[in-house]
Amino acid sequence: MLLDLHTHSIKSDDGRAKVKNYCQWIKAKNLEIDGFVLTEHRQFDDESDYSALAEKFGITILKGSEVETEYGHVLVFGVTSALQNAFDFTSTHLAIAEVLEQSKLHGAIAIPCHPGRPRVGMFAHTDQLGVPDGVEIVEIYNGGSRDQEDQIAIDNAIKLGYKGIGGSDSHIVSHIGRCATRFESKISSMDDLVAALKSDNFEAISLK
Amino acid sequence: MTISSISDVEFGEELPVFEPDTSLETVKTFAKIIGWGGARFSDHEAARKEGFPGAIVPGILSQGYLVAMIHQWAPQAEIKQIDTIFRAAVVADESHQITGVVTDINEDENLVEIDITVVNSKGETRVFGTASVEIACEK
Repeated sequence: MLLDLHTHSIKSDDGRAKVKNYCQWIKAKNLEIDGFVLTEHRQFDDESDYSALAEKFGITILKGSEVETEYGHVLVFGVTSALQNAFDFTSTHLAIAEVLEQSKLHGAIAIPCHPGRPRVGMFAHTDQLGVPDGVEIVEIYNGGSRDQEDQIAIDNAIKLGYKGIGGSDSHIVSHIGRCATRFESKISSMDDLVAALKSDNFEAISLK
Repeated sequence: MTISSISDVEFGEELPVFEPDTSLETVKTFAKIIGWGGARFSDHEAARKEGFPGAIVPGILSQGYLVAMIHQWAPQAEIKQIDTIFRAAVVADESHQITGVVTDINEDENLVEIDITVVNSKGETRVFGTASVEIACEK
């Protein structure tokens, strides 16, 4: 099963895609992905219910978040109300240690995204701040990567023994599905996704 | 083929690719005309000293090219809004392509939404966004 683990909709300040149009696009273009996770910036979207769209189009639609730390941006999967109270999702200066620790404590999983990117990627900060404890997975394929950003992510992930995921980081409709993560198991809920990410049975895919 | 009626527009339709003139001469001339003096638009070396990868194409010139790309496809279209996010500099003298695809059609209001992307020769996205375009319904 292929899931794009990193997408944004109009709920994000820089997102311009409506979720319905994502679904239409995936079907119209016969994209390989079976679903996607909405990871809105600095928030968890409690309000939106995409179950009707998911059913209509036969697409898995899940919700996570993308938060901001001193090491750059981090995806969080398995967000609960309790986790939302554990740290301030809206902050642009979270401590990555707290995000990793609290996520683990609440049964979620935190994954640094586009880690090879200057300024907002984890490996841009490890020379100065050191390698943070507790990271097990990083995003090694990102649909918005430029220059050698994905290669930096891959090289460092290998060096540090991290597993890798892929996500398009789409902000407009036509950019969805550029990168994804292949799972051996069927994922139909966030619990399934978190469990699969805690296993070794997935691989990052670039479809660019 | 150009579009003159919203009924001819299809979801997922790709607009003809547009290759903008990003030559340093054009950029320099444009910046001068609009009163944006400054080395970042006219001199690669000086722009690098300012931290840019080379002389850059002003954002409003890129916006103009986006409009040109849409009008090349639908000459009579009225562009209601162009909303762009500049992810990286569009560097002068480097070849770029502007692509557009239809991602929403609202026939009740004659509105079409278009994803627009400016990519460099390496296929890297420099600018992306959406345009909302009104196209008449000719029956």
